[in-house]
Amino acid sequence: MNRSLVFLEQREGAVKKASLEVWRRVRELAASTEGTLVYGMLAGPADTRFLEGCVDGEVIVYHAEQEEFRLYNPERYGRLVAETMQRKGIANLFFADTALSRDLAPRLAVRLQASLLSGCSRLSPAGAPGGCVRAVYSGSAMALFEPEREMRIYTLPSRGTVTPSSSGGKITFVPLESRNDAKEELFPVVRRIMMQRGSPDVAEAGMIVAGGRGTGGPAGFALLEELARLLGGAVGASRAVVDAGWRPHPEQIGQTGKTVAPALYIACGISGAVQHLAGIASAGTVVAINSDPYAPLFDVADYGIVGDLHQVLPKLIEALQEFLKSK
Amino acid sequence: MNIAVCLCPVPDAASVIGFANGITDRSKVHEVINPYDEYALEEAVRLKERFGDSVVTLFSVAAGPAAGEMLRKALALGADRAVLVSCTELSDPYQTALALFRAILNVYPDSLPDLVFCGKHSTDFQSGQVPPMLAELLGIASVSAVSALHATGEGVQVEREIEGGVEFLELRYPVLLSAEKGLNLPRNTTIKAVMEARKKTIDLMPVVVGEAPFVRMTGIEPLERKKTCRMALDEQELIRLLSRERALF
Repeated sequence: MNRSLVFLEQREGAVKKASLEVWRRVRELAASTEGTLVYGMLAGPADTRFLEGCVDGEVIVYHAEQEEFRLYNPERYGRLVAETMQRKGIANLFFADTALSRDLAPRLAVRLQASLLSGCSRLSPAGAPGGCVRAVYSGSAMALFEPEREMRIYTLPSRGTVTPSSSGGKITFVPLESRNDAKEELFPVVRRIMMQRGSPDVAEAGMIVAGGRGTGGPAGFALLEELARLLGGAVGASRAVVDAGWRPHPEQIGQTGKTVAPALYIACGISGAVQHLAGIASAGTVVAINSDPYAPLFDVADYGIVGDLHQVLPKLIEALQEFLKSK
Repeated sequence: MNIAVCLCPVPDAASVIGFANGITDRSKVHEVINPYDEYALEEAVRLKERFGDSVVTLFSVAAGPAAGEMLRKALALGADRAVLVSCTELSDPYQTALALFRAILNVYPDSLPDLVFCGKHSTDFQSGQVPPMLAELLGIASVSAVSALHATGEGVQVEREIEGGVEFLELRYPVLLSAEKGLNLPRNTTIKAVMEARKKTIDLMPVVVGEAPFVRMTGIEPLERKKTCRMALDEQELIRLLSRERALF
């Protein structure tokens, strides 16, 4: 009996879409493999009524609702996950690839003596938890990693795709006891978080409109922001414009920024240096808009328009508005 | 204050790496200090300058002449001494963390350093696993990808980027932190610093890592990226193509 646990990350009581996506993918993999059970785990108070609409069939979720788990704490979360896996005989652990799992999973790997396969583009072989494939050397190569230990931990990047609607299932919540002293300070302690309201984070967006030096300055991004809003997506940036101070670092995509896997990536005025391309290797559809027809980005784009983005974008926005209205 | 900084060399951005028959050929590669480690080193040196009576020790598990060169440069940037950790080939982040762990215990036998700094990940494999693994082995608290830091005599307050926001955390020494880009602006070397660095020591320290790795890299292939870009005649056509061929809207 193969048992897998999917860690459902919550922030401010809402379960992250990336975690729901991983949960769905792991359940799909399990459905095609004999004898695999998939459990969910939730740490901290959360809106659980909404969760039932996200699953099909009958599912079990271990839930530690205590206040001490409301904010991320690697020691508290680590103990909770490790104890649950050991007590229930669970060998495989899955996380969405997020800031939290990049911080927690390596510590857990040592604690559990588990193989950690992080940032998996593809699970290989598709099916039973085995090895994984991911990009290395700034996206110039794909490498296969295989686990050597009995217990395994996988972190899977979000694909930012729209979650297909489920017919709605039934979740059995199994409460988890905390064995910690809630008042003990286990460092590091998160004192508070500050969320940016409004547009989605680039790492979680299904559609990204990114800008490079061709935008000409911070003002040039107004058009990109408008298109992103229309698409319900996020604005991204090349390294050059972040270094120039035109956009903030959390928007940077590429080798020293974020790796993203949106369904649609529109690159405006970005030449396409290797380090930038490393960040978009897993994008679904890439569109390049550049006044230079020889820009390297056209080599990796699916569609392109040669032109000045200041002229192209307003027309593109108008064309999209017309199209959406006619639907 | 005792501060340890872990450094690793990586191929520089322009290097061409060969992948033939599943074997990685780094022979024509020029190696530089991992960019994220530069932020870690700079932060360590600033703390040393601020708190006084502090020693910054570098640790690197790399081999070859590039490693020594990298450590000399880092010594010129303000570190006090360096330890080049040598052991049999390390095949995964766990083994690398074990090697650094043992070297750190050798250098600090009585009490752990107040701070251990690393870069958030190395640009070649980008796993980011070594820093938190090292912290778990040392049994100390850690925060990865720190974008801002305020240190006091007892501990640190740090910030890190989370999806759609920022997390503010607090820890007491000893701590391990991995640096995100933009933590600070790394300094440049000066001729004077380079001359003084020649007098600083680089110790060769053999360690044994007998544990089996957690993970093995069993295959590698170059990623062929070239696609055929379909040029759209105008913006309306582009929208039609994205809708009809890609079902995006």
